[in-house]
Amino acid sequence: MDTGSRAVSDAGVSADDESAAIRTTGLTKRYGDDVLAVDDLDLTVYEGEIFGFLGPNGAGKSTTIDVIMDYVRPTAGSATVLGFDAQTETRAIHERVGILPDGYGLYDRLSGRKHLEYAISLKRADDDVDELLDRVGLDTAAAERVVGGYSKGMTQRLALAIALVGDPELLILDEPSSGLDPNGVRLVREIARDHADRGKTVFFSSHILSQVEAVCDRVAILNRGRLVAVDTIDGLRDALGTGSTVTLTVDAVPESLTLADIVGVSEVAVDGRTVRVRVDEASAKVDVIDQVREDGAALLDVAIEESSLEDLFSAYTGDAPRGADASAGDR
Amino acid sequence: MTAVWLTIARKEFADALRSRMIWGIVAVIAVMTSLSASISLLVPDVEGGAEMAIGGASQFAGLLVPIMALIAAYLAIAGERESGSLKVILGLPPSRGEVLLGKFLGRCGVVAIGLTLGFVVSGVVTTALYGGLPVGAFVGTTLLTVLLGVSFVGIAIGISAVTRTRAPAMTLAITAYLGLTLLWDLAPNAVHLLVTGEMPGQVVPGWFLLLQGLSPTGAYNALVQRLLLGGGTAVEARLGGPEPAYLDPVVFLGILVAWAVVPLAVGYVGFSRADLS
Repeated sequence: MDTGSRAVSDAGVSADDESAAIRTTGLTKRYGDDVLAVDDLDLTVYEGEIFGFLGPNGAGKSTTIDVIMDYVRPTAGSATVLGFDAQTETRAIHERVGILPDGYGLYDRLSGRKHLEYAISLKRADDDVDELLDRVGLDTAAAERVVGGYSKGMTQRLALAIALVGDPELLILDEPSSGLDPNGVRLVREIARDHADRGKTVFFSSHILSQVEAVCDRVAILNRGRLVAVDTIDGLRDALGTGSTVTLTVDAVPESLTLADIVGVSEVAVDGRTVRVRVDEASAKVDVIDQVREDGAALLDVAIEESSLEDLFSAYTGDAPRGADASAGDR
Repeated sequence: MTAVWLTIARKEFADALRSRMIWGIVAVIAVMTSLSASISLLVPDVEGGAEMAIGGASQFAGLLVPIMALIAAYLAIAGERESGSLKVILGLPPSRGEVLLGKFLGRCGVVAIGLTLGFVVSGVVTTALYGGLPVGAFVGTTLLTVLLGVSFVGIAIGISAVTRTRAPAMTLAITAYLGLTLLWDLAPNAVHLLVTGEMPGQVVPGWFLLLQGLSPTGAYNALVQRLLLGGGTAVEARLGGPEPAYLDPVVFLGILVAWAVVPLAVGYVGFSRADLS
């Protein structure tokens, strides 16, 4: 991957529309004259994958989702979802997609159960309310109460349950972990995984890398409205060279240490019986271990330290992952 | 299979029951129309019958119904847009047009049932006070009042569809109320003054009555008067001559319906083009 260029394109990947859950082509959204929220975005999300959509606040993630869901209309370019045009075939999309939107609200005077019943009837689905409640970890007693009295976490779980109504082919989660405690964050991951295991697609947006790292097959990084990377997490590490450090403890360091010759190894440092190897490609880690044995050392211990994803993020976005960047607002 | 707009309309109606909004409408209409129906008994010199009583009630309704219909519906869409629940609903299959239609019908149902129940109460009061009730005139007036309510629900939904938040929706709703009920009353007089150089007297030109009846409340008043005073004779007395075709009741019915449909259509166009972020 060409990391020298600021913007990358995910288009031109040879795949027909039938296997693309989401495809944007030259997608641009401008608010007024000076806010360019999304800038010429080409993105393809394949069916059956869990796709992480990363970027600092204000990067244009929610705007992209807003266009995909037809909440806003693009200035240029287009988006298709499951082969349907986002602007002209909205209903077909909404029948097949479940969304946890950014900045959503619920009805304070309505109980959790009524919310789900309403969503089920609007979607003409036949879900069992109790089963949905169970999937998101809301107990039935809480579901009888009105949402006005819910905590942020409970509200988020209910909104997640609404997104799951009708067992959608594509689940779009915009910052699903906000307001959730660690149990809730884990639950979101489980739901995403579970949904993908059923053969469905999950599109998972977040500004926090650690939340998507564990669960996503591929990620895209968006910054200032432009796509700066699309890859697997390992692929991103490899491409950036901010890979991992393999620390080997051996009985004795062999004289002819050939680790530096391995493809993907960038640096080898020896300190007593400890060998530290910086690895830029994920596949080189095993090679390092094999090679040190071949060189004649007995391996006592191995530790692998992945480079921080926050570092990776900063490397791509070119500034602090959180905070100040808000040229576009996160809409 | 139920149409989604019907599902939305039902929910709107259930919400109004839950929030007791509908009972507020019933109470206000029942009390105010009953009071105004009994005024002619309290004022000794006024000769009153049950028709007069209904007329008095309709005068009050002409002022009250617009404000209640506006309150009942001005936040229907703007409120959901501000709170973000609109994103949840529009993330489900309903289109923007279906949401608009469902909201309009649901709130119309609320206003219609509230007004009808309120009028039933004042009908009972009128019967008790005057020893009888002209059923045809009473039912007709109730239906016309419901139609007036529907017009203002259409205006309110139109306003709600083109505003993002509560504050501008409220400003527009208040403006619509003041403009359509209070200011419009003055407009024909002003025009008369401009055209003829004097204030309207006992006999007025036909266009003056048409101008009065172009607002929803004006059209309502014209229709109720015709209903209660029987045919076009009162109009001819006012004009001092034969009645022109453009003062036919059908024209005023059309005006009432247009006041519901046109704002709705304008609201739909604005809403369907809007960026809901």
